[in-house]
This record gives sequence, structure tokens and C-alpha cells, in this order.
Amino acid sequence: MMSAARDGFGQLLLAEWTKLRSVRRWVLALAALVVLSVGFSLFASAGSGTDSNKHPDFVVGPNGRPVADEFQFVHQPLTGDGSVVARVVSQQNSHAWAGAGVMIKDGTRSGSRYAALMVTPKHGVRLSANYEVSRAGRAGGVPRWLRLTRTGNSVTGYESTDGATWHKVGTVDMRGLPPTAEVGLFVSSPPKVVVTRSAGTTSVAEGPTTGTATFDSVRVDGAQATGSAVWQSDRVTQPHAQDTLEGVPDFKRRGGPSTGSTEANGVFTVTGSGEIGPRESPDDPVQAALFGILIGLMVIAAMGVLYMTSEFKRGMIRTTFVASPRRGRVLAAKAVVLGTTAFVLGLVATVVSFRLGLPLLRDGGFAPPAYPTPKLTEWPVLRAVVGTAAFVALIAVFALGVGAILRHSAGAITAVLALVILPAFVAIALPTTGALWLMRLTPAGGFAIQRAKPPSNMLAEAWSAIDPWAGLGVVFAYAVVALALAAWLLRRRDA
Amino acid sequence: MQPSIEVRGLRKRYGRTVAVDRLTFAVKPGEVTGFVGPNGAGKSTTMRLILGLDTPDEGDALVDGVAYRSLRTPLVRVGALLDAAALHPGRRARDHLLWMAHSNGLSRRRVDEVLEQVGLASVAKRRAGGFSLGMRQRLGIAGALLGDPPVLMFDEPVNGLDPEGIVWIRGLLRSLATEGRVIFVSSHLMSELEDTADHLLVLGRGRLIADTSVEKLRTAASGDRVDVRTSRRTDAMTLLANAGATVAAIDHELLTVNGLSGERIAGLLTGAGVPFSELRQHRASLEEAYMELTRDAVEFNVPTVRDA
Repeated sequence: MMSAARDGFGQLLLAEWTKLRSVRRWVLALAALVVLSVGFSLFASAGSGTDSNKHPDFVVGPNGRPVADEFQFVHQPLTGDGSVVARVVSQQNSHAWAGAGVMIKDGTRSGSRYAALMVTPKHGVRLSANYEVSRAGRAGGVPRWLRLTRTGNSVTGYESTDGATWHKVGTVDMRGLPPTAEVGLFVSSPPKVVVTRSAGTTSVAEGPTTGTATFDSVRVDGAQATGSAVWQSDRVTQPHAQDTLEGVPDFKRRGGPSTGSTEANGVFTVTGSGEIGPRESPDDPVQAALFGILIGLMVIAAMGVLYMTSEFKRGMIRTTFVASPRRGRVLAAKAVVLGTTAFVLGLVATVVSFRLGLPLLRDGGFAPPAYPTPKLTEWPVLRAVVGTAAFVALIAVFALGVGAILRHSAGAITAVLALVILPAFVAIALPTTGALWLMRLTPAGGFAIQRAKPPSNMLAEAWSAIDPWAGLGVVFAYAVVALALAAWLLRRRDA
Repeated sequence: MQPSIEVRGLRKRYGRTVAVDRLTFAVKPGEVTGFVGPNGAGKSTTMRLILGLDTPDEGDALVDGVAYRSLRTPLVRVGALLDAAALHPGRRARDHLLWMAHSNGLSRRRVDEVLEQVGLASVAKRRAGGFSLGMRQRLGIAGALLGDPPVLMFDEPVNGLDPEGIVWIRGLLRSLATEGRVIFVSSHLMSELEDTADHLLVLGRGRLIADTSVEKLRTAASGDRVDVRTSRRTDAMTLLANAGATVAAIDHELLTVNGLSGERIAGLLTGAGVPFSELRQHRASLEEAYMELTRDAVEFNVPTVRDA
């Protein structure tokens, strides 16, 4: 009488997949997920524009990306191997990240290769190179001995509090630095940025700061160093957005007269203004290209809920549990099938949106050098494209769980959308701290994974300010908790 | 081991309503067991408890000696039709059976076989939403038969079937029983089970009123009454009443006599010269017996409408 039967999770997956693919309306909804996501992404990409390249506030660094490079440099040439050493006697606390130290640089052109060892008012000793590398030394401020030594293509930084015991901070690869480079002292002091959020607008005000530091015991050693070369003081400068705008009367006052350097009895007093480091706009073309996934999320939220609540609607759940009495496994199978489907479709949507959206964004001004072309092979871009698909999958699973908990389609869809979409809008009207916490505590934070650029609080979208993984982590936690609660309730309740 | 359904001290309440009250019975293989009772008597609840869908407050229900929820591939042990509407209307009939088959690792071939068996092969690719209630019943029965299980439970399977369908399902139930399976069928109408069931479990207000074979129930209800057909009704009534019988007139020619044997009645009537055209042992219908049993147990008692 009995037929050959097999019991296994694979059987359940096959059963749930059959359920999902055999309802035409669901298949159409899933197709709509891709089409609508891509459509809205392209619509948004075509409507986005920027004039950053027309009004640059950056120079192009050796890696081709926009960088900031502005400071006061007291220097002399050094050919071949050698070292520069100095003691920073005092430093004005003009900015937490103000720098005073020694540098080796390819000339004095803004944006050229460099290696710098500095002391900062709040962040201890730092070794930085080529706008990319930033390595922390020991904590503490002035007075501090600093030494940079060039050996071929590498430069090593050492620091000391007494000039006798030296600590190695690190070695950086300086390939591309010409045999003759400028070495000397520098002072930088980044601009102060004030971000104000209120009722839907984010305004960013930026003002320059100026810092002064004093040095003594300054020495340049090298095989070909003369020892008596003349020190030259230069202000390394870069363009600012205001410089190219008309009708801004006070731009010429920036920094200008207040920087410079003096020397008396071997004591150098250097005053500088400006910042050295990456300077990429927080505006993210990758996120812009993936904007339409918002619509896909709404579709998958509804799909995830319906995939579960349809079981309760006509007593289908009884047929399901008669066939598979282990309810937790049924829920798990549903989650795997729906999550995988959502991930695959989400990935199709993100990859297509990215591929087709980028050229549109490029036409709108998101072009090099202000916006280097994002490539799928770069980790942050790949993270955004694949992570956004994972976001879609997690929302699907979350919606499934909420559907199982509430057992009511309209209520569950409303609840999911209220938790995923609503905070994103509410946050716009909230002050920074409130917005930040809203993103850390609700699944809306998941939008952070769409960004390929580092977190920034300068944008209206609150999720831009949190770490992408923190955002996706919140969504993951919501999905897991909803699923666990759903499993518990399914086992406990009468079907 | 013989297939069986066993229920011991089963009790379930929903809020204040006691749906099933200390129910104990066993269903044996090889015969059709009818599960009858008025609407709301607790038949569907009992079936849900047996299938592990609802959790009993007390007692337990076992299928083949084990709790349903502990079965790994239940479709090959128990087939159940609970509610013909319990399917997604947007799904094709074949896909509905296919996911069920997949969940227990049954072959696709079984799906086609049961579709053939219930007569739905020609509409296998149509969406269930367009099915009549009768077709849905057949689809539900196909689902129950999928794993070819030794235990089968059907909740009101006759609902919505056309006369041809009713004949079909009676034949199906009988033949499944003949194969030695446990066949447990519920209905709120005794007449639906009259020609099908061998054994009856009668439920009223959640309690078991009767657990008996169909034959015994009929005999009990019939009592030792005798039906007499005569053209001289009044004379016959007087004669038999004087002989100590209780006589009731059914119509102007038919009497039901209680308290005298058929032989004695024939002797009395012949002796007095009262002619009669028919004399037979009274045979109560199951419906009558059932009405008798459940009179006090009907959940929603409507006052009897009398003819003017």
C-alpha cells in the first residue's frame, strides 16, 4: 500500500519552490520586482547631476582619485637615500587632525606623491602616504621627535619622545617618487565642517582653520646632501569650489596672508592651513544607480508577506502541516526558497541597474576626476551591488516572518513597510543624533549597504552616516528575530 | 501492525466553548467508519486533533499508535481531506498535488495516477480557483490518496458532489475499506452514510453518543414493532389495543404495532375477520435512529414547525 517516500529538508525546499513558482500572480510580481527596480533606477540616474568637475575643490592624486593637498611646506631637495629629522616643540590645537611634522614629497605641486610623519593634537603620531595610507603611531602630542628615512623606493617613519629611543611607526612603498625629492617641515590644519540638519534639509558649512607649530633640531642627512642648502617655504595649494564661482567676494581672504614660516636660531615657526588626504564627494553614484531597488523592496515586502499569509487565508496551512507536521522546518524551507529567489532577482536588478545607470550618471556629471568610474571589481562597489541584493533577500525573509506572526496580509505589509521605508523619511526631519539612531535601530539602515563610499553625515539620507555592515546587520537581526518568533508561534498555535 | 486511529480522553476547548469533551474511540481497518453528528458537534475539531493541527487540552490521539506530529512522511501513513477550499486558487490542480508529493518525496507519477483515479486528469492543468466545489472535493481526495496511505480521513467529502459524484465516492470508500484500510468519514447527514458505513460514531456537543455498528443501531431503533396495512383501520386498532398492544396510525391504511409478535397479530386479525394486505417487521431508517440519538445534542435547536 505504502508508496516510496523520502523525508528531508531538500524535499521541503522542492515543495516550497513548487508553491512559489506555481502561482502566476507571484511570478509576475517577482518579474515586476526586477523591471520596476531597474526602471526606477534608470529614471533616477537620468535625473541626477552634479557640477563638481566644473567647480573642483580637489586635485587629482597619484591614484587618479580626487584628493585634498594643501599645507605650508618648508623644504629643500634631497637626492637619493637620506633622512629628515626634526623635533616638534609646540603645536597649536587648531583642529583635532591638524598636522605638524616632516615630509618627503615629489616637488611642491598639489596632488603629487608624498610620505609624511606628523603629530596631531588629538590623534597621536600618524604616518601617511599618497593620500591612501594612514598608519597610527603612539598616542600623545608634542614635544615629539620625528624622522623619515628614504631607502630606495621605501620610506620609513620613526618617532621618539626624547630623541634617543626611537620607535618605528611603519614603512611605506614610495615607488614613483623621483630620485630627487623635496624634504622638510610641514604644517596642515583641515577646514572645519559644520553639518546642520533640520526639517528635511542638510546644510554643510566649511571654513578654513590655521595652525602654527614650532620645530627645532632640524636636520637633513644624505649621501649627496650639502648640509647648507637653503630652506624654502612654500604654500602648497589646491583649488576650492568658491574659486571658480562668480560673486563670492571673500574667497581671496582664505588662508592667504596668515600662512608662512620664520626661522631664528634653528627654531622654525610654521603656520599652515589646509588638509592632506582623500577628498571624495560623499555623493555616491553607485547608490544613485541602485536607487530604484527601493521599489523592488516594496514589491518583495508584499511578496514575502503574501507567500506566508496566503497559507492562512483558506486553511491552506492545514494542508501544508498535514503534509509536513514539523512546522519549524516548513518555515525554514520557505525562508530559504524565498530568500534565495529574492537574492537572485535582487542581484539581477542591481547589476543591470548599475550597468545601465552608470553611463546616465556619467552624462549627468558623475564623471572623473571628481567621480572616478566605479568598477564592479572594486570591493566597495561589489559590496554595494551584492549587499543590496542581500538586503532585498533579508527584507523578504523579514516580511515572511511578520506574515507568519500577524497572519493578516494588509496588516503585515503595512508593518513591514512602516519599519523599512518610513524611518528613512522620518530621519530626514530629525537632528543628526536622532537620525543616526533611527538608522541603527530600524531596517531602514539597510540602505547604507547601497553605498560604495565611506559613511558621511553630510548627506540628507540618514543611512549615509552609518557603516554599511551595521545597516545590513540591523536588517539581518530583524529577519532572524521575526523568523524565530514566527517559528515559536507556528508551533504553539493551532493551525 | 494493523492500521488504526485511536482517541483517548480527548478534550479541547476554544475560549469558553468545549468543542470536544473527553472523547474516546478507536477506528478499525477494513470497514468504513462514519463519524456523524450535527453541525458544531466537534467532528472537524476531532479530525484536526488527530492530524496534530490543533493541540488537545487533555488526552491524546494516535495514528498507528503514534502521534501524527511525530510522523516523518505522513502522507504515506495518513491521507486526509479536511476542507476542499484549502488550496490556493491561483495554482493548477497538478501543481497543488505536486508540491504535496515533493514534500514527502513522492514521485510525480503518483500525482498523475491520483488525478486519473479521481477523474481530474483532463483538467489537471487548470487553476483550482475555477473549479466547482465538487471538483475541489475530488482534488482534495486526490491529495489524500497521494501517498497510498493505509489510513484515510475525509471530512464531509460528499459536500458539493453531484449525484454521479456521490455514487463514485461511495464506491471509492467501500473499495478502499475492502483493501483493509482505515476509512474514517464524517458527515452531518446520516442519510449520506446509510449505504456506505459499516460502523458509526455519533457525536453530539463534543461527546460520543453512540459507538455502534450500523446493523445494531438499526435494530435498536426498530425495536419489535410491526407494520400492518389494512383497509379497516379502526377495527384493527381496537382489536389489537384490546389484546394489549400499543398501536399508532401512520396513515389511513398503515398501523405500527408495538408489544405483539407478528404471528400473534396475524392470528388475531384473521380470527376477527379483519383483512390485511401487508404485515412486516418495522425497519427504522438510520435517519430516525440518529434523530432519536441526537435530539438532545443538537447545538442549534430550531423549534419544530407544525402543519396547520
